[in-house]
Order: sequence, then C-alpha cells, then structure tokens
Amino acid sequence: MIITDKDKIVDRDKPQKLYVQLYEILRKKIENNDWPVGSQIPVEEELCRTYEVSMATVRLAVLELARQGYLTRKQGKGTFVCKRIIPEGLTMSASFKELMLEKGIAFSTQVLAQTVMMPTDDLDLKLDITEDKHIIYIKRLRMVDNEPVLLQETYIPHHICPPLLQEDVTDNSLFELFEKKHGITITMVKDFIEVAHSKPDESKLLGLPDDSPVLLVEQLFFSGDTQIMYTRSVKRPDRFRISIEFRKK
Amino acid sequence: MLKGKLVKDVMFDVFDYPHIPYWFSIRQAIGIIKKSLLSGDKCHNPMAVLVFDEKYNLLGTVTLKDILKGLEPKFLKPSKKAQVHEEDESGLSVLWDTLFKESREAAERPVSEVMVPTKLFVKPEDPLTKAAYLMIHNEMALLPVLEDNKKFVGLVRMIEVFNELSDAVMTA
Repeated sequence: MIITDKDKIVDRDKPQKLYVQLYEILRKKIENNDWPVGSQIPVEEELCRTYEVSMATVRLAVLELARQGYLTRKQGKGTFVCKRIIPEGLTMSASFKELMLEKGIAFSTQVLAQTVMMPTDDLDLKLDITEDKHIIYIKRLRMVDNEPVLLQETYIPHHICPPLLQEDVTDNSLFELFEKKHGITITMVKDFIEVAHSKPDESKLLGLPDDSPVLLVEQLFFSGDTQIMYTRSVKRPDRFRISIEFRKK
Repeated sequence: MLKGKLVKDVMFDVFDYPHIPYWFSIRQAIGIIKKSLLSGDKCHNPMAVLVFDEKYNLLGTVTLKDILKGLEPKFLKPSKKAQVHEEDESGLSVLWDTLFKESREAAERPVSEVMVPTKLFVKPEDPLTKAAYLMIHNEMALLPVLEDNKKFVGLVRMIEVFNELSDAVMTA
C-alpha cells in the first residue's frame, strides 16, 4: 500500500483535533477505494510514522472509523476495511426549530451571566476549538409562571460572532440572533439527552432538592462544517416532555 | 517626544489576554495560564489573566505572583505571633507533603480571592505620561483602558510605556 506525500495533511495549526483530521484522511482513502473492501490497513506504528502523529491519535481515528462501520478489527489478525451497510430509509431529518422552542409555552427569562471565559475541562473538545480561544458564556434561567424550569448555559466561540456579547439575550433566542441578525445559518443540531443529577448550584436555581433527577440536554450547533455553539440545558423533568418529529428525506 | 502620545496609540486588544469569570477556581486559572505559556505567541509579559463579572465588567487581574500567594500554605506566611524570625527559611524544605495538601485545597478557592482588583484605569485619550505615573506610583505593570469610565477597551503595559519614554529620553 503506497501512501503518497500529498496525503500527509494532518495540520497542527488547524483548530480541528488531530484524530478528527486523521479520521477524515483515512475515510477518504476508503471511499476513494485506495483501501478496497476486504484489505488490511497498515498497522498502527506504520500509520504513526506515515502521518507523523502519536499512537493515541491513530487509535482514536481507527476506533471512530470502526464505530462508523468503515473498519472491522479482528483480534490477532489486524484491521480490515469492511463493506459499510447504510440502512436505507433510516436517514431522516428532523425539523429542529420545533425541537428547540417548546411550543406553546411562554417563558420569561433571567440572564444570569453574559461574559467571556477560556475553555476549561473539555469545552475545547465540545466546541472543536483550540485552548487559547475566547468563549462567550451565557447563562439563563427560564421560568414559567415565575417558577424556574430550565437552566441553560451557552458557549459560543467569541470569533464566531463577537457582537453577541453585547446583544440582549433576555427575550431574543440565540437561534434567531444568529440567523436573522448576523447572517449565520444553523444547518445542523446534534442533541444528547440524558437523565442526570442536579449539581448544588443548579438545584438552588431550579428550586429542587439537592441531587435531584433532572433532564440534561446538550446541543451542538453547526453552520456548515463549523461548530458555532454548545448549550447545556438542565430541565426540571416534571415540566418537560420531549417530542421529536422525523421526516423522511 | 513623548508629548502627544496617547494611551490609545499604544494600547492593545483585550482579547490578547485570557479571560475568566470570577467564580473560576485557582486551579482552573492555573490551567489557563499554563496553556497560554505553552502556546508561545500569545504569551505576554506580564503574564496575566483578566477576571470579569457576569456582565463582562473587568473586576481585576491575576498574575503568577497572585496565584503563588494564593497557594502559599498558612504556616509559611509571616505571623506576628510566631517565635521564629520571619526570614528563617529552614522550614521551607520540610513538610512538602503538608505543603502540597494544603496548596491543593487552596487551589479550589475562587480566583476572586486572590486577584488584584481593578481600581485604577486610564482613558484612551489620556496622555501616556498619566499611565506612566499610575504605574510608577501603584506598582502596576498592566493598566486597563476604559472608555466613558465604563467600557473596557484595551490594556497598556509597562513595556510600551517604557519604550515610548526611553525613546523620548534617548532622542532628546
């Protein structure tokens, strides 16, 4: 298997994580049939040398390809390109505007914070930015009939839309501000929903006993290939019902 | 000549410096400072992190010195009651375990406890001599620039003030 120089495009200056870049490179090799179905891909050490990345980067990229169904790993034998099955009829797109605004509920909003911070913990990963990028941080408490029901923290890379720092976010949805005022179209939203336990400050704001079960909704917003926003919403489970509508493409 | 040079001529962008809200822990601030020190091109002298409130008003600055002070275990701090002479440093080499345990706990405190609050500032239209005066008399190497006494628009550093002043002296 020959790997030419022009394939070596893992670029350390790109904000994208190295393993994501490597994932894309390797995925293209499979899709272009450079690595045909059934063939064995080079061992990890060789990939490290070829793309001048660490073993950890190679493992993550290979693992992701396996998860996406491009590769299969056979213990003691190696990693092989497999025939990818795309289940027909399951590619659906939801109309996400309705998903975001709980229909028919009139919120009142209290802006608890609208300031700037640097990425800590894994925020850089969640926003796909480098660690030295400033982030606009917005924390809002939403109430129905003066009762707090939803605590929402929003993180936006500052360079994506600097004026958002000054915008009034009490009544305006960020979605509308992005699309209508700043011309940034949101093309994809990824939702992660789980049941979690409220942290002390969240319990206090939501008027719940400590360590209460809450609905945790994390959303990643994209405009084309660029990730523009990450929100983390803690919802009182007794006040929300999630409804998702799928439409066949 | 220094005359005519204004703060706005030498001030630079606030986004050149890391920002954090006041509720971040000292530990989080250390993480951010370390990343800035490693990234090289964004490392400024003096190294500092700007601390803001929830409405993006500048509250203060945190430098390496402030962090070290925040991590200093109590038993190393000079006490009036202590029988030992203040400059007796023999205790510094012992009890590393104790020191780190206490420092680790100290690192969980919010940065607002160790930051230097912003009390003094200059305006963009102020002459650079004013910035120099404030720096000299208040031991500040970094001075915020506020527009209309409110909006934080930039920073002046001692190095630029020094450069301008020394150029004026040398060419006089």
